[in-house]
Amino acid sequence: MTDDQQQCDPYSENLAELALGILTGRARAATLAHVDSCAHCAEELEQLSRAADAVVSVAPELEPTVGFEVRLFNRMGLGDGPVPVPALDQGRRGPFRLVAGAPRWALASAAAVVALLVGLSIGWSIGSPSGSAHPTEAVAAVATAALKEHGNTVGTVATYGGATPWVVMTLDDSSAYGTLTCEVVTDNGVTHRIGTFSATYGHAAWDAPLKVAPQDVRKAEVVSANGTVIATASLS
Amino acid sequence: MIDSGSTDEALLAGMAVGDQAAAVVFVRRYQRRVFGLAYSMTNDASVSEEVAQEALIRVWRHAPVFDHRRGSVTSWVLTITRNLTIDALRMRRAVPTDPDDFAASAMMSLEHNPEDAVLRGDVSDVVRAALAELPPEQRRAVILAAVYGRTALEISEEEGIPLGTAKTRIRTGLIRLRGAVEHSREIGEER
Repeated sequence: MTDDQQQCDPYSENLAELALGILTGRARAATLAHVDSCAHCAEELEQLSRAADAVVSVAPELEPTVGFEVRLFNRMGLGDGPVPVPALDQGRRGPFRLVAGAPRWALASAAAVVALLVGLSIGWSIGSPSGSAHPTEAVAAVATAALKEHGNTVGTVATYGGATPWVVMTLDDSSAYGTLTCEVVTDNGVTHRIGTFSATYGHAAWDAPLKVAPQDVRKAEVVSANGTVIATASLS
Repeated sequence: MIDSGSTDEALLAGMAVGDQAAAVVFVRRYQRRVFGLAYSMTNDASVSEEVAQEALIRVWRHAPVFDHRRGSVTSWVLTITRNLTIDALRMRRAVPTDPDDFAASAMMSLEHNPEDAVLRGDVSDVVRAALAELPPEQRRAVILAAVYGRTALEISEEEGIPLGTAKTRIRTGLIRLRGAVEHSREIGEER
């Protein structure tokens, strides 16, 4: 054992706790003082700190309650009302991102928010991507309809216009599970694939950029992985 | 120009000068991670929403003082969230999620095998895989310390083990995680 190692020994055992931010009192003060004068321990502490920081990053991503953004942006003073969800960060968000295991309350509230939004003229005053002031834009539901499975209502579809048309869908108590595809059929009979999403025990709530003009949409379908149409909504 | 491809640092810089678009992109990028962390710690949706909102508001307010030399944006945001969640649990005297459940939900979200995670440079998945490899008692001690901010003394009392054992579990576990993280960084630097 070298003299240097002997010098470090009393402190190196504290480095993990120091990195985790849980070392207290004299031990903390003494270890910090040693690290200040020991390059080896400073490097060790840096590496342990990276590992400690990374532990909180392992928590799974979860979709917040529907309406989370609206409430947050209002608190931040960024908007007077609900904000279209898919407008700016589609690349990272990914269409129809639904987090597996999303709590039931989130799914139930999705339907409530859809109901709340339908027919309302929503003020949107979030800044534009360039950062310039965005004029308040009226964004109202173009159409809303029930998703039907074997004649039973199992969800809701609502389409929205404005600068970035989008669609909001919810499924509740349907037979759908696993990876599903959302398709819309436009006036001219063409079917457009909007994206894929997942349902857990027949429940799902999601939104996505619409890709087509909302007023042209006549039908929305939820299609299973084997191509079976599970639920349909007529939007006219 | 700010858009969905902007780096975290660029978004924070934009937020620091009041760019609303930067704030919107940032919130949409981080809200699921922030909410997910709070929910994983509390198993309470309303507390998690409060915490997540407050965390993102603090990021928005404190963006001008973020110092990238002291760590990544992700670490900063998640540390703020973690601390607020610990505060919320204390204020409500609520029972936090059991560390084993926290670990289980984290490991369930491991989407790729560890080697892929290393190659992709996905530190979260690297650490998930490394946590899965730890002996359960070390994993529990590391999560209690790193996520819930428990000291070695608190862990020894809560787990009913000697203080020295708690310290050893924390230290050994974190050193193993460090090995995985540093290995991932080395692979990343070689590419």
